[in-house]
Amino acid sequence: MIELEDLTYTYPNASEPSLKNINLSLEKGKFVALLGSTGAGKTTLSLCLNGLIPQLLEGKLSGRVRIAGKDVGKTAVQSLAKLLGLVLQDPETQIIGRSVEEDTAFGPRNFLVPAKEIEQRIDQSLATVRLTGYNQRLTEELSGGEKQRLAIAGVLAMEPEILVLDEPTSELDPLGRSEIYATLTALREKNNLTILLVDHSTEELMDKVDEVIVLNHGELVWRGVPSDLLRNLPLLRQWGIKPLPVSEIGWEFYEKGWISLAEIPLDIPAAEGLIRELLPLYGNRPGIPLEGVKYLEKSQHEVQQHGENLRSKREPRLSEKVLAVEIKDLTYRYNSGSPALRGINLTIDSGEFLALIGQNGAGKTTLAKHFNGLLQPTSGEVIIEGMNTLKVDTSELAKTVGYVFQNPDHQIFSATVEKELEFGLKNAGYRGSEMKKRVAEVLEYTGLEPYRSVHPFSLGKGERQMIAVASILVLKPKLLIIDEPTTGSDWTGVQTMMALIEKLHSAGTTIIMISHDMDLVAQYAKRVIVMKDGEISLDGTPQEIFSNEEVLRESFLAAPQLCKLSLQLKDVLGPQIFVEASEFLGMFESGEQRGC
Amino acid sequence: MLEYLPGDTLIHRLDVRTKMLGFIGFIIISFLFQDPLFQLGILLSAGLLALWIKIPLRKIWGMMIPLIPIIISIILITGFTFAPERFERVSSQAILFYALPGERIGATVGGFLMGTTFILRLISMMIVSSVLTLTTSLEDFTQFFQKMKVPAEVSMMLTMAIRFIPTLDKKRRQILEAQKARGTKFKEKGIIGSIGSYLPIMIPLFINSIMMANSLSMAMLNRGYGLTRTWTTMRQITFNSRDYWTMAFIGLGLGLAFYIRFGLQLGVL
Repeated sequence: MIELEDLTYTYPNASEPSLKNINLSLEKGKFVALLGSTGAGKTTLSLCLNGLIPQLLEGKLSGRVRIAGKDVGKTAVQSLAKLLGLVLQDPETQIIGRSVEEDTAFGPRNFLVPAKEIEQRIDQSLATVRLTGYNQRLTEELSGGEKQRLAIAGVLAMEPEILVLDEPTSELDPLGRSEIYATLTALREKNNLTILLVDHSTEELMDKVDEVIVLNHGELVWRGVPSDLLRNLPLLRQWGIKPLPVSEIGWEFYEKGWISLAEIPLDIPAAEGLIRELLPLYGNRPGIPLEGVKYLEKSQHEVQQHGENLRSKREPRLSEKVLAVEIKDLTYRYNSGSPALRGINLTIDSGEFLALIGQNGAGKTTLAKHFNGLLQPTSGEVIIEGMNTLKVDTSELAKTVGYVFQNPDHQIFSATVEKELEFGLKNAGYRGSEMKKRVAEVLEYTGLEPYRSVHPFSLGKGERQMIAVASILVLKPKLLIIDEPTTGSDWTGVQTMMALIEKLHSAGTTIIMISHDMDLVAQYAKRVIVMKDGEISLDGTPQEIFSNEEVLRESFLAAPQLCKLSLQLKDVLGPQIFVEASEFLGMFESGEQRGC
Repeated sequence: MLEYLPGDTLIHRLDVRTKMLGFIGFIIISFLFQDPLFQLGILLSAGLLALWIKIPLRKIWGMMIPLIPIIISIILITGFTFAPERFERVSSQAILFYALPGERIGATVGGFLMGTTFILRLISMMIVSSVLTLTTSLEDFTQFFQKMKVPAEVSMMLTMAIRFIPTLDKKRRQILEAQKARGTKFKEKGIIGSIGSYLPIMIPLFINSIMMANSLSMAMLNRGYGLTRTWTTMRQITFNSRDYWTMAFIGLGLGLAFYIRFGLQLGVL
């Protein structure tokens, strides 16, 4: 169905090609995942498939692209759309109609499909993406997940034979993500569509796709069944793709020579079986459950190895007793609507690392916006570092509370990175050498030094995200709120960002992180708050939260893979919940000798 | 801009073309008469139409209140500027008083009456056009454009503009919040200061709009826009018996109005 021959493409004004000599052919009915880090050329490749490159975007293109026998270079994008449906990243700009029905009809109407048939197609495609009955709803009122599914429906209504989706789940919560994947699986089974899915995450994809293709720096570097790729950790790390957490445990076992490559587990049951099998052979104290005391011993050992990494995961710091945040009976309602926050009581100590989790619309961001006075309580009060947000202006609070938003493009407006960082300082009244000094410090700290006098919009999304963080850091906030710091970043980007946040945390900054990425939450946060329908439904350590399956299910969240594995191994581990692969490895004798 | 108000009255069900004809008829009648009494009658019938479709009164008030200064100034201006020679009736030519000594700038009775007419006309126009937009969906309007042979691009542009107003407004709010969180103050002194403090909003909004427009153009091509110069009409608009009856009624009303105005010479000043 898809044939690429020696495809090379260079964007206008770019010195390096974004795609280099790609050769690829895909058969009908296959479900293929296209992986790779940011900037590897995944989006560029999908744009080549339906002719937007070179017909809309110019640049240097060589080689050939054929879709179902048609030469893409010589067929208009619009007529290719009948064969190949492309769903782009941002659903917001793909929704053209005001009502759901109007939007779904847009495609077929352009192809002059008779009205009767269009009506049928609307109902059919809405049913496929599970939006039946939404026909008359206004598109602007849909949730993020619904918008994303509508974007897919709009393409399906044209009845293409091939469906290409460019990171359709990057901005969704876990529930929204699983709904998209369920939709795709159903499509493939019922309609026998050929699907090419561009994605970052691997965990949900593994058992759904037939084949995986990996791009790295514009080159096609790997093609094969997913399990082969996911067991090859060095390759994944090299290409910036996140490995499955359980496979990290397995890889260590493999390196020790205990198991073969094919035995590296890729799901929880396999990992459970493997650990049970190996524990009597190589375990620290075979058969004896590990007790809490031993956990502490081990954790001290880990502290030496990983520095700050695991410190105070169990015990919050007691030395500094200043309250960073104190919230009393906070209720908030948007104009005349039902309350978005109900009776929130919360105190956060200085120096905590707290994660806010919950479904989209649970009230996480609404709560966070109270911390710097962007929103003010309808009733109750919010006191930040001794300042009541009702009495202190946001611009004043900004000196103490840093808020990094999800989309860096909403704040960048200066011509150079340096000027962008100076903006917040000027607002706070800094001038001259003090300002220069602080900017220089933060540029160094965030690794943005090489881009000092570059235009921010000429940089990639990951760097722009970093600029947004840096522009807040110059103010040296005591409290840092980060809303989805890793949306749309690849694994390498996520790690860079998290390392920075971790560094700030150990320097004493109070961190409040909003995230859908449960692996990150489990790994970094010391305290987790689960929100549901504007209320706090659970507050505790990651271990406590992720072992409470009931509350998680009610909040439409899922525990990270390793926590689930710990729960499965309850009889061995007792009440402990492990959140990192290294903790599991600690159970084994050779694990103790690592680093020696 | 007032949005579509769902409902199932006769006006809602009428064909968009009938409604347009009625709208034009209404305007013509309104411009035939100069006498405020006649205008009051016209305003009353417009009000009845509005009541019929259960117009949200608060919205109408919201539109009226900013107009009050304009209303007062119109009456004053017409009162003083319409010279007596412009009126047919003797009673209208009467001069009430002079603004300046030496019989200069006289205020005529007719002028004030004319001002009142202008105001009543303005208000009935507003009501009638609201009735039209509130009872007609955007889809119907695009159909109307199509029937009137307006190019498809024009109606497409109109639909898209309306679709993206809420999206851009959301962007604006997000940008405003992001900049506030960095300590931007929006109360700088002087014109330069206030322009300067809005740059952090305007520049990202501008850049984001361009980026959105870019991906929108891709999305439209993806969905086959521009393959043919036309597109499928989803709902054929057709005339019903109620449309013919309404049109006959509009015709009758117009005829009557012309007879009163030119046959009986009524309604002039």
